[in-house]
Amino acid sequence: MGVSKIRLWALLWLLFAWPVGASETHVGIELHLRPPHLDPTLTPAASVAEATYNNIYQGLTRINRHGEVEPLLADSWEVSADGLRYVFSLKPDVLFHNGQPFDAQVAAFSLRRLLDPEAGNPQRFLFSSIASVTPLGRDQLEIKLHRPDSLLLFRLGLSAAVIVEPESVANNKTAPVGTGPYEFISWKPMQAVELRFFSDYWGSQPPIRQASISFTPNRIEMESSLAEVDFYPNLSPMSSVIQLAKRDDYLLNDVITEGETLLVLNHAHPALADRRVRRALSHAVDQRGLLTIYPEARPPLIGSHFSPLHPAYIDLSDRYPYDPERARQLLAEAGYSEGLELLFKVPPPLYAQQGSLHIAEDLEAVGVQVQLKRASWPQWLADVFQGKAYDLTLIAHVEPLDLDIYARDDYYFNYHDETFNQLWREIERATEKIERHRLLQTAQRHLAEEAVHVFLHMRPQKSIRKAGLMGTWKNAPVPAIVIEELYWEK
Amino acid sequence: MRALYYSLTKRIALLTSFGALVLLLVIGLALVSFSQYKETLNDVAEHRVQALLTATRLVQQAEGMVNASAMLLLAEDHFTRRQAVFELGDRQEWISRLIEQLQYYQKDSIDLNALENAQTALVDNLNTVNRLVRQRIALHEEVKAQETASPAVIKRLEAITAEITEVIRINRDVSRELTMMVGQQVSQIRATILNEVNVLNEEMASRQTLLFYLGGLALLTVLLVVIYINHSVVGRVIRLQQVLSRERVQPMHVPVEGRDEIAWMAKSIRRYVEKINNNETRILEMNDELSFLASHDALTKLYNRHYFDRKIHEMNKAENIGPLSAAMLDIDHFKNVNDTYGHDVGDQVICQFAQHLQAVLPATALLARVGGEEFAVIFQRLDMENVASILEQCRIQIAETLFVAGEQRLRVTTSIGLAGYCDCDDLAACLKQADQALYQAKRQGRNQLVKETYGC
Repeated sequence: MGVSKIRLWALLWLLFAWPVGASETHVGIELHLRPPHLDPTLTPAASVAEATYNNIYQGLTRINRHGEVEPLLADSWEVSADGLRYVFSLKPDVLFHNGQPFDAQVAAFSLRRLLDPEAGNPQRFLFSSIASVTPLGRDQLEIKLHRPDSLLLFRLGLSAAVIVEPESVANNKTAPVGTGPYEFISWKPMQAVELRFFSDYWGSQPPIRQASISFTPNRIEMESSLAEVDFYPNLSPMSSVIQLAKRDDYLLNDVITEGETLLVLNHAHPALADRRVRRALSHAVDQRGLLTIYPEARPPLIGSHFSPLHPAYIDLSDRYPYDPERARQLLAEAGYSEGLELLFKVPPPLYAQQGSLHIAEDLEAVGVQVQLKRASWPQWLADVFQGKAYDLTLIAHVEPLDLDIYARDDYYFNYHDETFNQLWREIERATEKIERHRLLQTAQRHLAEEAVHVFLHMRPQKSIRKAGLMGTWKNAPVPAIVIEELYWEK
Repeated sequence: MRALYYSLTKRIALLTSFGALVLLLVIGLALVSFSQYKETLNDVAEHRVQALLTATRLVQQAEGMVNASAMLLLAEDHFTRRQAVFELGDRQEWISRLIEQLQYYQKDSIDLNALENAQTALVDNLNTVNRLVRQRIALHEEVKAQETASPAVIKRLEAITAEITEVIRINRDVSRELTMMVGQQVSQIRATILNEVNVLNEEMASRQTLLFYLGGLALLTVLLVVIYINHSVVGRVIRLQQVLSRERVQPMHVPVEGRDEIAWMAKSIRRYVEKINNNETRILEMNDELSFLASHDALTKLYNRHYFDRKIHEMNKAENIGPLSAAMLDIDHFKNVNDTYGHDVGDQVICQFAQHLQAVLPATALLARVGGEEFAVIFQRLDMENVASILEQCRIQIAETLFVAGEQRLRVTTSIGLAGYCDCDDLAACLKQADQALYQAKRQGRNQLVKETYGC
């Protein structure tokens, strides 16, 4: 009886369930920080971009693994001699996942929405050079600028500028619709975001047909589930992560990022509005000692908000050497010899959790009482990034060349400095490379002199992948996990 | 009527459809069973196993909380205290999420309130421990700064230590409670899994029996179809073939049974056989007629010249055929009859003349029409006088007969040349002699018999 039953089911299994072999077309990705939603045009959270950029959504241009701009939904473009007019030729026969066609009207809708303050795109300031967006027929789009903008094409390739579809745009937070190779299937509570190859995709069929993207913000939780995933593109090289990489079936890769790690100071706080206090904090933090949180990485220290990878970089990391005594002096000068109490909101990334302990120790050593308060990623985005309710926070800014944030009045730094604003306007106008670099260096110096934040180090990042998974990006010029380019080695 | 012809097709289609239906039923049942099997397997894999895993992790974490709180307890400075608090925070967060997950997977069967209460109690306790440890570190720092410990400080430290011990005890109890609650969940999930698997096994066993019987029914139906086709189609076709293989097939032998397509075909074959048989009869009749016409004169039905010549030839070769005499007869002035009354009348006269000859001449005489109005006769084994007498009687009868042809009434006479006793081999010469005698009779005024004895 038992044997015949097994035979019967074995036969049925052969008949109906034979074509399996899903493992070669599936990939499981762990992105650590659970995003508040899946619309990259409405949040600066990098994990939204990592999950959706070039997977679900696409832009007119894209930034490749080397940080170079490539055409995507725009096949080509022409720029007027004065650099003020761009005409993009759009790719024909492109469909959104809901079946709607992509054309110049849709592209214009997307870009106008990007520029509309009401729409709430947190990166819209990056596109302030745009004066108008006009569709020319079905397949051409004209963008006119207020001033020449050498970064326009690069920025159009950022996740904030992806093309969205008017009918579905309102639901993109929970049911994202784009033109990318993968369509959204589900994001059930406590489960991974499930993506599947979009059968009407305009491009060629990628090797990976299905992807699961999970978010496990908790260190202990992640440690216990590390082995369940194929690819961790973005992990701080903490000891538990290193442990996993010692296994034969996983490969570890150092990733160079554009992420400046900062102890961010809220300039709205009366004490932190005082440059002496800020300088005191810069002296109080043992930046070199802080690097002990990364057992297997030696990231470069920075002294300003600028990546050492950029040719205009100047090394200002020794501007505020570790000097608790000098810190106490400066605090006393500012009238805080009796102490100062600050609220330190700690977001979930591992480096922030570990780093905050050391920084709190350093600050308390010079008389600053620190109240450490952990926040989940959505809480941090809501309370700190949007609500600006914090005194200190520790975070890496991963967007490349984002000095403009210091010129933004509504940014969560609450840093308002007319000198810097003027400097930034000059940088934007500068078309000559040498002049532009000179101005960028002045800006770096200015931010360092003002000790706007405690500039710590470039964020080291490790990616871990199962041996056999190929096509991963070595570096992360922009936050992106391009699933289309992944494949399993046979 | 025509619809009836398709009854066989209908019956076979019906039987085949029934067979197909049973097969479809088998496949359908197998598919449903398979999908149920898959569903249960998925449910076990996705929900029950996940729930089991979640519950097991929850037990681990609940136990881990006690160990982690020891780290907090042992903290000598704020760094280690905070580190321990962070770790406890991580574990708390995870416990919350695990409880949420457990509720998602187990839905109604979980006492969420009890779990949440236990967790809240745990968190409160740990916050208290944290507060007490922070105070203890501060007191230690105070002691360190003053270098000597005042009795008040020592008292406060003792009080804090006692409080911590109590909180830790409560903490252990709460953790144990949580562990036990989750342990219950684990065994409940295990029981659910086993139950689901058992139910599935029973279901599958009954499905298997049903599939077995349905398979048998399908086989039986196929067998029935084969027997039916063999009986209703193949058998009848073979019988038809056997009948058609006979040398002489009669339509009534072709079996026509029932009112279906085979009967329709058999009827067509019967009609076809009937037609073939009819055609065969007609061909045979035509053959007879053709063979008669080859030896007889179409008008008088007497032997024709061709037959007469062949017969003479045969007689010439035969031995002992006895004495022979030959006579030639000619209707006198027959040309005038044709010219006067037309050929139709002439033909009728010839016919009636021939009938007279047949009536008068003995049956053994070989009589033939050898020309338009010319007849030849061979007599065997009759003496000359007898033959002459018969011929004379014949001549007189003809001369006295009133020939009736349509509306015409007319009389004719005949001249006869007789050559007697031609018992030699040359009958042709004998006939030539008779012809000469006829010529003699014509020359002597017609309507008379001239006889010559032939000598070899």
